[in-house]
Amino acid sequence: MSILSVPSPTQRCSISISRLPLPLPLPFQLQVRRRAKGGKVVMSMEAGIGVMGTKLGMMSYFESDGEVVPVTVVGFKEGNIVTQIKTEATDGYDAVQVGYRRVRDRKLTKPEMGHLHKVGAIPMRHLQEFRLQAIDGFDLNQRLLFDETFKEGDLVDVSGTTIGKGFQGGIKRHNFKRGPMTHGSKSHRQLGSIGAGTTPGRVYKGKKMPGRMGGTKRKIRKLKIVKIDKDLNVLMIKGALPGKPGNLLRITPAKIVGKNIPKN
Amino acid sequence: MASQVLLQQALFAPKLSFPSSSRNVALISRVPSTPISWRCTPLIAKPSFVVRADTNLDGGGEATEDVPSDNAEKVSEGEAEQVSDSEAPKSPRKPRVKLGDIMGILNQRAIEASEKQRPTPDIRTGDIVEIKLEVPENKRRLSIYKGIVISKQNAGIHTTIRIRRIIAGTGVEIVFPVYSPNIKEIKVVSHRKVRRARLYYLRDKLPRFSTFK
Repeated sequence: MSILSVPSPTQRCSISISRLPLPLPLPFQLQVRRRAKGGKVVMSMEAGIGVMGTKLGMMSYFESDGEVVPVTVVGFKEGNIVTQIKTEATDGYDAVQVGYRRVRDRKLTKPEMGHLHKVGAIPMRHLQEFRLQAIDGFDLNQRLLFDETFKEGDLVDVSGTTIGKGFQGGIKRHNFKRGPMTHGSKSHRQLGSIGAGTTPGRVYKGKKMPGRMGGTKRKIRKLKIVKIDKDLNVLMIKGALPGKPGNLLRITPAKIVGKNIPKN
Repeated sequence: MASQVLLQQALFAPKLSFPSSSRNVALISRVPSTPISWRCTPLIAKPSFVVRADTNLDGGGEATEDVPSDNAEKVSEGEAEQVSDSEAPKSPRKPRVKLGDIMGILNQRAIEASEKQRPTPDIRTGDIVEIKLEVPENKRRLSIYKGIVISKQNAGIHTTIRIRRIIAGTGVEIVFPVYSPNIKEIKVVSHRKVRRARLYYLRDKLPRFSTFK
């Protein structure tokens, strides 16, 4: 409807449609429209709505057949409430903003309190957006439950902030090897050369060098949910997750291209 | 005469030190200072009054001994009151699971579930144990492992023990997770008296210390 009303999108859409041999269902046409409009693929889309949680620690989990699985336990504080729904019409992209972790009113700024008060939500510290392909089925102040979003056996992507390690050298930061230990050498843990001489006349961009290590955002992909405990409100995810116990984690369905993410 | 005087002084000195401390205690507790000072001067002035001073000192000691017992009783009464006060508000509180306690609770629950499947004896270092293990690939036969526990790592559900034994002249050590469902039975056969939490010295010892029938 909107496409037909505007002339220039109509032309682009018609061109792309004419290229395709067969008529396609509506969602795919929408995707085509998005692709044609920007001329680039939007890679930051999520495969589905996710939740935020708190890392609690790691433990072993014995499967029924005796296999030992290292799992990370994720707990959930009060939160995971929809605070805003962004649409293509109003904001230029489709997204659902979710808040997590209830705090006292005094901990937030007045603009934040106003933003949350507008939808009648509790004061929450972390607000994050999930860019989705379709934002139907979400209401403001809606509570997202992790046991409805996920089930045992699902694959998830988990992102969080890694453990900060400060300013580190090449050996720790980039797994460089040590220099000579004997024969009068003095360069045991140093970089050595950082490039060639006259010909480039500069150090290449991206050269691995000492610097601040850790404390960055990291996403671990395609981890399996081993168990969901509704009594204690915890999620057991196979493998290691970023950060220390107590860290904020962002858990979304795993992106598998061709399955829940379009293949272009 | 001189020797007698010296003897009297020698006797006098320790008595002075002890009574003075007791009198100080008495001062702090109850007795007023004036009578004590009055009594002190004649002691120093006239040695003939030593006998009377001794009797008075003994009486003073007894008096001071009574006082601290009263104080102790008062202190104990206060403690009892404090305990009773603290107990009252605790009872109406509702139990709430904190996020920091969840790891402990999960481990405890997992251990209890494992105990239901198969009870686990209390295993200590130095125990000689017999373990029946079901290998996943060969479910028809149970492998039996016997050996002495030379170490134990407590890590919740992943508690492990290291078992050592000499087989065919070779020392063999195997690590078993205690609460694994693959272990069908753990039996403590006997116990040796050991004085270490880790018996790694058995590796350097004679083989007969790691041999069992």
